[in-house]
Amino acid sequence: MSEMARDVMDTRFHTLNPRMTVAEAVGIFEQASEESGRRVFGMLVVDCDGRLVGMLSVYDIFLLLRPKHTHIWGEMADLDLHGLLQAACDRARPVLVGDIMTTDLITITPDTHLLLIIDIMIKKHVRRLPVLDQGRVVGIVYLSRVFDYLLARLGG
Amino acid sequence: MPVIDQKNVLKGLTVAEAMRRQVIAVDTGAPLEKVIRFTIKYKVNAILVTDEQQQAQGVVTKTDLMGAYYAGLPLETPAATIMVGPPLFCRQEDSLDAALNTMRSQRIHRLYVHGEDPGRAEGVLAYPDIVGLLYRFCRRCDRSILKKTGGQTEGEFAGHLTVREVMTPGVESIPEVKSLVTVMEKLAANRLAAVLVLEAGGRASGVISKTDLILAYKHGLPLQTPARQIMSTPVRGCHQDDFLAEAIEEMIFWDIHRLFVAQGEPSRIVGVLSLSDAARFRSGTCRACLVSRIAV
Repeated sequence: MSEMARDVMDTRFHTLNPRMTVAEAVGIFEQASEESGRRVFGMLVVDCDGRLVGMLSVYDIFLLLRPKHTHIWGEMADLDLHGLLQAACDRARPVLVGDIMTTDLITITPDTHLLLIIDIMIKKHVRRLPVLDQGRVVGIVYLSRVFDYLLARLGG
Repeated sequence: MPVIDQKNVLKGLTVAEAMRRQVIAVDTGAPLEKVIRFTIKYKVNAILVTDEQQQAQGVVTKTDLMGAYYAGLPLETPAATIMVGPPLFCRQEDSLDAALNTMRSQRIHRLYVHGEDPGRAEGVLAYPDIVGLLYRFCRRCDRSILKKTGGQTEGEFAGHLTVREVMTPGVESIPEVKSLVTVMEKLAANRLAAVLVLEAGGRASGVISKTDLILAYKHGLPLQTPARQIMSTPVRGCHQDDFLAEAIEEMIFWDIHRLFVAQGEPSRIVGVLSLSDAARFRSGTCRACLVSRIAV
């Protein structure tokens, strides 16, 4: 048993384009979740030449939706918040994926050992890692897959 | 515990009570593309630039980014090329009053806050944070106009400041067919953050702010792009006789940077009210507060 990234990575995954709107990206998140049978919380962003340029996670979208002054009105329990979420969504929809994606990425290769993957996930607080082979994206390792794999080994 | 539970006057407030503890920073080599992305993502007007030891080296503001767009700098240009530095600092224990004085005399919109290491930012104090703090006091106050629910006499409204007393009078506008170059020249010449965009009949059809311009820069739009292509709509406004407290609440609640102020007809715009205007005023939103106003 090789115990490398290639053993736990998903090789079928959706990607986003940096010029898509957030609204379009959300549609692909839903499609990816439906097709994979589990909720997808982050996706890779690749340019027209297939090069990895970033990643978009739900936290990036949360940051965009979060109003700037929540720390002020968040303590005011009697405020009428009606319409606020709708306004935040309306503002977020036309923003482009490339405007908010995260570009400081940690990548691994198909030959990265599982224990090193765990180490990266612990130290960097990441839940998914792009797998590159000679600069090309060949897979993605999700924390849940690593956990499933380890559970099987631990149990056995 | 929120500071407003411990104090009921504005005097004696310190920087620690108004500052934000999240400092958005990039390293000196970060491309301008990343700086723009951070301003959009974190909804800030400036990004701190630090070296490898997290020592503050400079600041890149939306104005600097607009200048880079105007000058045709590539988006790959390192932040260090256009940053202005060194950044100005204050300390958490400094009075808010002293910090405001520094901001006014230096004509800057923010101060970074250091702790034991004088070169390392632990927080940032900007005008919207100060007005946010004042607003929290105002809203809690028994005299607050925001607590009144109707049935008041005119006398009860007396003493509450109106928008016209705090707004910046005058407004700059530009026809929607004019280019982004013209927009930027107008903003720079008048030291403004936004201009109104007018359709052929002279009616205000939108607004272009520095945020719209730096997004155009990031998206690679040519400088000759007409203003209407990037303007934001609708124009958010208020009336000059509206209560200041309500206008501030509107801006804080709906994440609006500025309100265009009308006199009489909504289309007759006579000024602009921004959170910075409200912060520079150094008081709450009614005259009852003037006695405890931060010393000018």
